[in-house]
Amino acid sequence: MVEVVRCPVMRSGELTPWSVLRDGARLIARFVRRHPIAFVIAVSGAALYASAIIAASRVIGWVTDTVVVPVLDGNESYSGLLLPAAVAILAVAILKAVGIVVRRTGAGYLQLRTRQDLRNDLLDHQLSLKMSWFDKQSIGDLLAVADADVDQGTGVLGPLPYASGVILLLIGSFVMITLIDPWIGLGAFIGLIIVIAIDIRGSWITYKMWEEVQEARGRVASVAHESFDGALTVKSLGREEYVSKRFGRESDQLRDRLIDVNSTWTTYQTVIRALPQAISIVLIVVGALRIDAGLLTPGDLVTVAYLLALLAFPVQLIGFVLWDLAGSQAGWRRIEAIFEAEDFISYGDREATPEVGPAPVLTDRVHFTYDGSEPVFEGLSFDLRAGVTVAVVGPTASGKSTLSLLLARLWDPATGDIRIDGRSLRSFAASELPREVGYVAQDAFLFDDTVAGNIALGGGFSQHEIVQAASLAGAHEFIMELPAKYETVLGERGTTLSGGQRQRIALARALIRKPRLLILDDATSAVDPSVEAAILRSLKSAALPSTIVVVAYRPASIRLADEVVYVDEKRVVAHGTHHELLASTPGYARLVQAYEEDARRMEQEAS
Amino acid sequence: MSDQMTTGKLIRRALAESPVLAEGLRLTLVMAMVGQAITIVTPVVFQQIIDEEILNPAGIDIGDVIVRAAVAFAALIVGIVVGRAALLRLVRTSSAGLSDLRTMTFNHLLRQSVLHVQAERRGNLVSRVTSDVTTLQEFMEWGGVSLVVASSQVLLATAVMFYYEWRLALISLVGVTLYLYLMRWFQKILRRNYDSVRVEVGKSLGVLSESISAIPVVRAYGVETETKERVADALESRFQREYKTNWFGNSLFSSAEVFAGAMTTAIVVGGVVIGVSQGMTAGELIAFFFLTNLLIEPLQIVVETLEFSQSAASGLRRVLEVLDSEVEIEDPDNPVDLPDSGLAVRFDGVGFSYPTGGNVLTDVRVEIKEGSRVAVVGETGSGKTTFAKLLVRLLDPTEGVIEVGGVRLDRVPLAQLRSRVAFVPQEGFLFDDTIANNVRYGRLDATDAEIFTAFHELDLGDWLDALPGGLETMVGERGAGMSAGERQLVALVRAWIGSPDLLVLDEATSAVDPSLDVALRHAMDRLIKGRTSVTIAHRLATAEAADDILVFERGYVVEQGPHRHLIERGGVYADLYADWSAGTKTV
Repeated sequence: MVEVVRCPVMRSGELTPWSVLRDGARLIARFVRRHPIAFVIAVSGAALYASAIIAASRVIGWVTDTVVVPVLDGNESYSGLLLPAAVAILAVAILKAVGIVVRRTGAGYLQLRTRQDLRNDLLDHQLSLKMSWFDKQSIGDLLAVADADVDQGTGVLGPLPYASGVILLLIGSFVMITLIDPWIGLGAFIGLIIVIAIDIRGSWITYKMWEEVQEARGRVASVAHESFDGALTVKSLGREEYVSKRFGRESDQLRDRLIDVNSTWTTYQTVIRALPQAISIVLIVVGALRIDAGLLTPGDLVTVAYLLALLAFPVQLIGFVLWDLAGSQAGWRRIEAIFEAEDFISYGDREATPEVGPAPVLTDRVHFTYDGSEPVFEGLSFDLRAGVTVAVVGPTASGKSTLSLLLARLWDPATGDIRIDGRSLRSFAASELPREVGYVAQDAFLFDDTVAGNIALGGGFSQHEIVQAASLAGAHEFIMELPAKYETVLGERGTTLSGGQRQRIALARALIRKPRLLILDDATSAVDPSVEAAILRSLKSAALPSTIVVVAYRPASIRLADEVVYVDEKRVVAHGTHHELLASTPGYARLVQAYEEDARRMEQEAS
Repeated sequence: MSDQMTTGKLIRRALAESPVLAEGLRLTLVMAMVGQAITIVTPVVFQQIIDEEILNPAGIDIGDVIVRAAVAFAALIVGIVVGRAALLRLVRTSSAGLSDLRTMTFNHLLRQSVLHVQAERRGNLVSRVTSDVTTLQEFMEWGGVSLVVASSQVLLATAVMFYYEWRLALISLVGVTLYLYLMRWFQKILRRNYDSVRVEVGKSLGVLSESISAIPVVRAYGVETETKERVADALESRFQREYKTNWFGNSLFSSAEVFAGAMTTAIVVGGVVIGVSQGMTAGELIAFFFLTNLLIEPLQIVVETLEFSQSAASGLRRVLEVLDSEVEIEDPDNPVDLPDSGLAVRFDGVGFSYPTGGNVLTDVRVEIKEGSRVAVVGETGSGKTTFAKLLVRLLDPTEGVIEVGGVRLDRVPLAQLRSRVAFVPQEGFLFDDTIANNVRYGRLDATDAEIFTAFHELDLGDWLDALPGGLETMVGERGAGMSAGERQLVALVRAWIGSPDLLVLDEATSAVDPSLDVALRHAMDRLIKGRTSVTIAHRLATAEAADDILVFERGYVVEQGPHRHLIERGGVYADLYADWSAGTKTV
């Protein structure tokens, strides 16, 4: 079944709420260091907001004592009292509003910028890692890290300034209540500690459950991905129901996990919402006692009660922050796993000399093994003269594609060396080697861009050069039939091309760079034989300054080559012209003459 | 289409599609309101204690204060219990309902031809069953609950206000109404903003995921810098959009605070002015302060959830769009069984065109005798693959009729059709599973022994034996552990294990090396004797050996007949053949 290769998440057993707080603080510090001003602005806004709330309760208490009670209970005249009361209430409200805008805008900036930074950094980092790293990753997971995990990892930044505001608010409230009445202050303090303790505990438990939800969610996504990718196969075999059931199972798993986590969360939330009210009720009893003893005014009691009512909502958010903090760390660990991968490609400092003309190629005792499987090559050596067109031939799974990847330095040999024009591929500086070596894979990757953009790939080529390359690749004719010709958008949101058309565009992309070494890894497999033959002929006759390595089965491609390198049993079995190999190497002859042999036999059977 | 759907209509549609969502919803709502009603107790007790005890000239009766507090406490506990039960019910029904909705959407999508016709769109479609449903889920569980609770709180607070002093209550009510009108107006603007945010988010993620998927290409062409710039640009314009919208939303949210201040001011002024003449007590006016707070707080939540509800509505809209789209290939209402004998094929005036573009196939008239071997040839884009997809009913023709075994194809029950007719596409798609389980997709109850036999029947025993884990070898994600040719071999065995009566192969061995290909073809020839086969040929040797050849050009069948006839005719096929055999000759 589908296994979600998530980067390992630290098991909850090793975690405690305090380690989450500590690591969370480190994570936040890391984010804040990059945009400190936004953070300071956000926290200032939160402080303003907190002071405004305390001021608001103070104003309400003051209004109670100076206006409400004297006027309604003592029958004083209200003239002259209303205006200052109204101004004071409105003023603190506006202060609060300003605090909110400042805090949220600052926090939003911090969060959004951090996400942007992380996504850019992730791509940078991945681009500098070796293919051996990339090959072990699931593309779906890498995309999930760049998308969902970045959002989750920075989730804590949104409510963070608010939370620091709430802490200020709690301290301020406590100080003020204690100044009004130490006993009530103590009671309120104990009450709030209880609320926060429950909050932390609830957040902690739900966080651990949340991780399971995320895993279940990942499995749902990967089943959906796989099923949709294989839709043609699923449908042609009539296995929709089977796949549906598989998806349904994962979806139900997710459902159950969600019910678990939300039930727990709901229980804690209910308690946390009710507690401030319970505290208020206790408070009024104590307050009544203190007023009875002449130690408190009704206005003071209203101030305290109003403040507690205002605190009820913010206190709930402490839980959100803790939760976000824990969730952020889970997201961050997956981001970090990518940043921690240090399997960097090592580059030399050699600059490319693309204008020199076709390059000789030397492959010297190359050993190569993919992680955890049988060796592919054990001492593979061959030597190519400059300008030669060579066909690499071998049975299915003999490592022909691997050889192409090595020649283009998408992978490095374990031992041994590959040299182009006497210079090791590893000695080139970053982005230099592709100026000399063109590589075209079987599955042509097209970008969400125009035809011209896909061919130029940001290389700053003229329209004339683009058309020339397209013509050489046998693509010009069908491009001219596209709705917007060279400006037709391809890819995700664009025109859909056939496999052969895609391959020809990919071929043009390589040809336009006039590489000294051109590697075609079955790059014309979806192109019709006659078209392929024409392309290969034009490649050969064009004044293209390339050494060409072709991986292909078609005898036509082989015949157009000057030489053949026959690969089998992890090494080069034979290297020579086609005719030499036919005579000297029975395995080669069997392989390439299979069709002819077959045709001959059929004719015999027929006659 | 459903862009015009209001949020209310959307919710009704969702409830209709996934009835579990609505199960016991009324009781849940009532319970939630009861739970919330309890919040009103605190201000009322406050008012009573202030008026009747604290401001009572006769002094405070502590026993009485404690009794009142105890009643409030009891009410609070009942409220907690009932409220929690309501939330639990909501959590359960919403999770179950949305899981159903997700599976339904998945099933519906799986039946759309867009999946295999426009491969590029797949990634987009995955998000229908992942992020879109997740947004809904989050909304139901966080936003939805808050909305229910908040609105019942508003109702109750208003009721208690009216009980105390109707004029003051009226002031609050007018204020709230004004505020909500303002919100609706804001909401419209906000929605436009969120839509444009979503567009930017989609664009940036598109560029980012494209770049990550293309890392090998980027490296091969040395365009790292250009790629980074492209991504950075997309992320920057996304940031600008998000930041602006964020700022706008903040101003909106903070307006609730100013509004709360204005309301409190109005209540103080109004309460004092009205109170003096109407004998309102100080406790009642103080209770109003708290009640106003109970009114404002939920409104803040409503504003907070606006963002949520907006994205949830768009998510729901996209999900419903999927459910509303027609299933193109439907099981027939009046099914007719295929005959038990071999299967002949007839295409009568068949045409096919995509809604977006020109004709792919035009007026195809073809007869294929049962038990015959037919090869299909033609240039890329001539309509060969579409012909094959029509033949196995992965697409329905836009014109004309297709018959298999004398039965109209769209009358055959799909399950029967799939078990009798096998189609092997070129791509050789493998699931991330073992070889054996991949083959089992072709026949779910196939035993290991049968699978093993099938490999040997197709002369693939040697290949299988060479695998490190034999049938239990894992193939990796999308078969990444296998070469393209090997994937095709497994796909072929997968089709073969179902022992179909009509076998349709679309360049099914194009990536297999020639000697293995020839061996395979001989094995196939031996095995399919008596069965009908249609092979889209990438090597004309296949055509040469076929009983009949169909030659496609630009969507038309331009030639049909056995190899010899077509060669003698000297037409399109003869040219293709000349080209091919010139290429095959090794000497």
